[in-house]
Amino acid sequence: MADLSIERLSLSFGGLAALSDVDIAVPAGEIRGIIGPNGAGKTTLLNVISGLVRPTEGEIRLDGQPLTRLKASEVAARGVGRTFQTSLLFKGMTVLENVMAGMHQGLRTSVLAAAVGLPGVLREERRARERAREALAFVGMLSFAERDGASLSFGQQRLVEIARSLVAEPKVLLLDEPAVGLSPPRVAELDELLRRIRDKRGITIIMVEHVIRLVMGVCDRITVLNSGRKIADGTPDVILADPFVKEAYLGKSSDADRA
Amino acid sequence: MVTLSNEPSAPRAIKRRNLGWLVGRRPALAVGVLLFAVLPLMANPYQVYVGNLALIYVILAVGLNILLGLAGQLSFANGALFGVGAYATGLLRLDAGLPFWLALPVGTAITVAIGLAVALPALRLRGLYLALATVAFAQFALWTFVHWDSVTHGTAGFVMAPVDFTALGLRTTTGIYYLSLVLAVLLVAAAYGIMRSRVGRALVALRESEVAAESIAVDITRTKIVAYTLTAVYAGVAGGLFAGLLNVVVPESFNLFQIVLQFCMVVVGGLGSIAGSAIAAVLLIVLQEGLRGMQDLQEIGLGLLLLGMLLFAPGGLVQALRRWLPGWTEPHSRGGDE
Ligand SMILES: Nc1ncnc2c1ncn2[C@@H]1O[C@H](COP(=O)(O)OP(=O)(O)OP(=O)(O)O)[C@@H](O)[C@H]1O
Ligand SMILES: [Mg+2]
Repeated sequence: MADLSIERLSLSFGGLAALSDVDIAVPAGEIRGIIGPNGAGKTTLLNVISGLVRPTEGEIRLDGQPLTRLKASEVAARGVGRTFQTSLLFKGMTVLENVMAGMHQGLRTSVLAAAVGLPGVLREERRARERAREALAFVGMLSFAERDGASLSFGQQRLVEIARSLVAEPKVLLLDEPAVGLSPPRVAELDELLRRIRDKRGITIIMVEHVIRLVMGVCDRITVLNSGRKIADGTPDVILADPFVKEAYLGKSSDADRA
Repeated sequence: MVTLSNEPSAPRAIKRRNLGWLVGRRPALAVGVLLFAVLPLMANPYQVYVGNLALIYVILAVGLNILLGLAGQLSFANGALFGVGAYATGLLRLDAGLPFWLALPVGTAITVAIGLAVALPALRLRGLYLALATVAFAQFALWTFVHWDSVTHGTAGFVMAPVDFTALGLRTTTGIYYLSLVLAVLLVAAAYGIMRSRVGRALVALRESEVAAESIAVDITRTKIVAYTLTAVYAGVAGGLFAGLLNVVVPESFNLFQIVLQFCMVVVGGLGSIAGSAIAAVLLIVLQEGLRGMQDLQEIGLGLLLLGMLLFAPGGLVQALRRWLPGWTEPHSRGGDE
């Protein structure tokens, strides 16, 4: 289990302040929701945490260790996994291969060993395939293992993305709108999956999500962003009751209750 | 949620797989190798020469496919690197007096070094910019082959003594032929090994999305360097064999037509498909030799073929093979209509 802390984080694109002075502390084992209207800076926040975008100011720490100066691949290697708002499965690979790709960090095979086909390579591949199948079973997508990723629905692709992140055994998982386009029963399944990820795998989850029912149901705490600022932070009950939140988000945004 | 079986169709699936095995990728490649192995026993010297050229282009196309088809890097440097391989191996024999068996690996190492010297500044470039930078390199390399007389022997190139294979009891042509065959088989097998490993998956991840690749801890820079290095190894070996086959090295072999030819092979075969690249290399070399002496027709024909494939069959030959032959599986290739 690991905690993630975000301190005085600011980022501007040209003149636009996409994030200003954001402080968020996510304790180990928490499921944290990030909500806010379109363009509030939610995806940008995940991008900064995962090292894709350098902040103008501020610091991000995983278990006290700073992540802010690392490359995105190094942040991932330290145990921060993620999925994307628009699914980014690798085309040309099967679902199983996509999940195996997620194990990159944990496998040892070198180019030379792979080229020569040393026996250790085949052993490692077999083990990797087994673990990828386990992860697919964990998210309920095992029966799609040999399918082409592109032939799946968006909801299914996101489950595969989650499996791809899980095989890297991350400490923290960042999810960008995982429930988009899911029917209510599927949202319920996702709710249950997120709990299992936290309880069985001990992974801290930070989830950006518009589907309010999911956020209110599964999150321990919720942080509300608006125009790059944190405007509220609290348990679901507190957030629901917060007048600022109502005005900035729940009251105004028509898609707050979609799906 | 997890449903694995659909019982009624299971027996049919098994039967299909049994039949499909006969036309699967591995048996097809094995038959191809066998045909190449017996070719010198029944063909005339010209046909053996064409077969040998085809084997060299199999190496080239499979190597380029790693960079272009798997890693998705639009580099035009490979025609020039093929030239560097040919020049390096040839000059090491002619002017440094190295035996062929030593000149070939050293020449390949030189090709990799120059390939990396091009790749390092190109690492930050993508798409069109990478294409332009590498075309510039290709032109510069050609200029060097022509104008650096004191080393490259200038426009006229140079002639070497035939490689001596008497120690193996083989004539030169037979020796080069079987050496090319063995290296082609080893390098194709190596490409498959790499593609199926974590390295191959990292290359494909890089091709599909640098952002998503980084999110699974794939180091973009390192992975690109691996791709450039591998492709340079294949180009170096192919260049060395090319010099050994022709005994002549001239600059014009490595002009822009060279890279168009190689691109054609990878695209016609199907981007990302190793078997596709190999098959297309053989087909296009045979086609080119069929149109021998008709330079214009060759160039126009290749151009039209490339355009036609991109427009009407972007998945390449391998897409058609996969559709028509149920046993044909091809990992990581990018189907055109998926
Ligand atoms: N690379 C970029 N360059 C310039 N501006 C950007 C960039 N990325 C995001 N922005 C801007 O930053 C702001 C925050 O965008 P962000 O994508 O983080 O919003 P979001 O909260 O995820 O919204 P949504 O709910 O629509 O996904 C927006 O105004 C957006 O236009
Ligand atoms: Mg967003």
